[in-house]
Amino acid sequence: MAEVPRELLAKLPRTFVPALNEQMRNRHLLFPAEQRTLDAQLDWLARLPDATLRELFDPLKQIEARMNLPRWELNTERLSITDTGILVRSPYYPQWRARVAQIFEQIDAGVRSRQKTTPVNRLVLCVLPAGLPLPSAPIWPRLENQGRWVALDEPFAAMLETFAGKLVGRPHRADVEPVERTWALEYNSRLTDWKDCAPACVLSFQALGPIRREFLLRLNAIHKDLHSADAAFDDLRRMDFHKLESGAVGQEERIREFVRNLFLSGNGSMLFGNSFVQWGASEVIRRVQPQTLLCSFGIRPKLKPFSSVVLFEDQNRANPVADEPDPQGSLVDIVLLAEYVYLSASQHATYAGRTVFLFAVPEWSRVMMVAPQGFPLPAAGRLAAADLAATATRWLA
Amino acid sequence: MRRRTLLELAGLAAASRIAAAGGPGGPKPASKIVLVTLGGIRRQESFSPDGVVNIPHLYGDLLPQSLFYTETWNEGVTSHFNTISSILTGVWQHVDDWGSQPPAHPTLFHYVQDQLGASPAETWVVTSNKALTANIGPGANVILSKQLLVEAVERIIRGYSARARLDRDMLLEELTAVMQDDYERIGWNVASPSTILNPEMKQAFMAALAGFIRGPEGPTSGDELTCFVAQEVLRRLSPSVLVVNFSDMEVAHSGTYSLYLAGIRKADRLVYRLWQFLQSLAEYKNGVTMVIMSEFGRDPDGSSTNGFFNHRSNTESNRCTWMMVLGQAARRPAVIERPVRQIDLAPSLGAMLGVTCRQAEGKLLAEFKV
Repeated sequence: MAEVPRELLAKLPRTFVPALNEQMRNRHLLFPAEQRTLDAQLDWLARLPDATLRELFDPLKQIEARMNLPRWELNTERLSITDTGILVRSPYYPQWRARVAQIFEQIDAGVRSRQKTTPVNRLVLCVLPAGLPLPSAPIWPRLENQGRWVALDEPFAAMLETFAGKLVGRPHRADVEPVERTWALEYNSRLTDWKDCAPACVLSFQALGPIRREFLLRLNAIHKDLHSADAAFDDLRRMDFHKLESGAVGQEERIREFVRNLFLSGNGSMLFGNSFVQWGASEVIRRVQPQTLLCSFGIRPKLKPFSSVVLFEDQNRANPVADEPDPQGSLVDIVLLAEYVYLSASQHATYAGRTVFLFAVPEWSRVMMVAPQGFPLPAAGRLAAADLAATATRWLA
Repeated sequence: MRRRTLLELAGLAAASRIAAAGGPGGPKPASKIVLVTLGGIRRQESFSPDGVVNIPHLYGDLLPQSLFYTETWNEGVTSHFNTISSILTGVWQHVDDWGSQPPAHPTLFHYVQDQLGASPAETWVVTSNKALTANIGPGANVILSKQLLVEAVERIIRGYSARARLDRDMLLEELTAVMQDDYERIGWNVASPSTILNPEMKQAFMAALAGFIRGPEGPTSGDELTCFVAQEVLRRLSPSVLVVNFSDMEVAHSGTYSLYLAGIRKADRLVYRLWQFLQSLAEYKNGVTMVIMSEFGRDPDGSSTNGFFNHRSNTESNRCTWMMVLGQAARRPAVIERPVRQIDLAPSLGAMLGVTCRQAEGKLLAEFKV
């Protein structure tokens, strides 16, 4: 569906209109999974009889009528930060949010009931950095209750490239588009620099440094009011940064816009490499839904005295003293962030029940695995990289 | 930008454009109140079996002597400005989160000044949170202490990056410059002239600040500076109502769990230090009530709002927190498991101070000993 019929737009709750218009206007920047979902939702809604549509939307419209919202028209292009602020601080916002969630549950259930596609098996790998002060106690007690440790014939560090290479180079599935095959998010630029990973979409916190610094520079100019924030965000939405990045980000507009939106959505993605990996993974899962996702965490530096109070800042600019790594703090951060990657994927309908999760520590000759019942892991013995990769690629075939 | 030297500090006393002001005169309330609000802290990282390791002073030292409300609900907008405004007014606030509007109802400060005729010098706010503005306490003296530190660091970033490192002397120079030039932006403009703008008082304050910056506990974080400023206000001005806000745990928005936990541990340490400090002051020792509460929790692990990073979800993890009351109002320590609301605090503190928060919608907390 290239555009939303105006009569359908007029029947939607008014809070839906600006966001929907923005999605339709930028449809070419949506990933295939997003386009499929949007089309299926609109198609399902367009087929509903008027009475059913009213039954679905009227309770929300009644809440909206009490919310004293801005006067959005059918052609309003998006919600500004100011608009969002008004919506969020309304006394009716919790009711609004709950009702919106109910509506989308109904829409998605309707869409699923008409779906004819075959579910695809998936894999998510989280790799911790070497050099962490690992405890003797279980690292992920909650995950370990659901999974098990699988013995390897060598430390994972020695098999990462073979394993990742086999995953990235696995045979194509006809129902998975190239951009949906393999994504990787990394703190450093190991995978970015590695040619066998070229077919994957790799986003590196380190390699995106010039873009991050440019964004931070402009964000630091924001005065403390909503209009200034709106203006700065508009400026950042227009900023042409393809010359700052030569890899996949620079070449493909859709990925470039993904990175822009990732940085604009906050959650530490511009400031801390591990937050970039986790929040980036969460957004990739939500938007791209790749069949394979690799997350490679790193050791962050300690915050420096004084300059650490200004978090919207590159602390190296504020304080030229050399960075000092913080392995202890990084371990605490990464353990939870890796678990958040698992939670994001396992709660997503596309991944739930058909995803193998692997958690690896470079120095250890074992990986933690949480997998569905049907995952065909060899029964006993220590696995070589090739065996693990062969099992994984069979799962993904 | 003109570079200042430490010698120029001496010139502070003669700052002719700073209005001289009267001292804290007029009637004083019967009691004194210190309210400490903390940024978002989940129960799982504080008052829970796994969380108490982060709050050894709150749990081990203060809990036994407190009135402790285990279920304190934030039913309003779980943002900083609206939450603190709600606590101070006793009415859930729905104003601009960026602080461009004052609360829509009178605050505790207003009631104290209006009903008791107390001077503005009796009511103070010292806050670490960058999201707050002077509008958080209309009519009171507001010091945005973290903003002071941030602006000082930003001046260095902009103007002195050629220096070898960002050191304490440089920071002190810039703190001084910010206070001299930009005091309105950091909250030093008040509804009426305040005592701390008196040149003599300001010089004493700056001397103390210099000692603090160079001392062993220099402010590597906004909360340490906030605690220092709060102690100076208590020591020098003995206000009847002081609101202090700690917010280092808000680094959680950037996803560094270790720094979030460190922020909680620091708040635990600073709150305990503040309580011990109050016990050392004759004006406060027997007549003060100190309340410690977090503004809200944070979102649960696995939420669509990215868990501990944020405080946006309509969940128990985010809305249900705790409140600890020490001192005069807590003469009979107890753990209260009945759910209470954050807006119940303003009328209850009002009763301690001898004022009625007429527009407050919260209820008096019966356990407070007036």
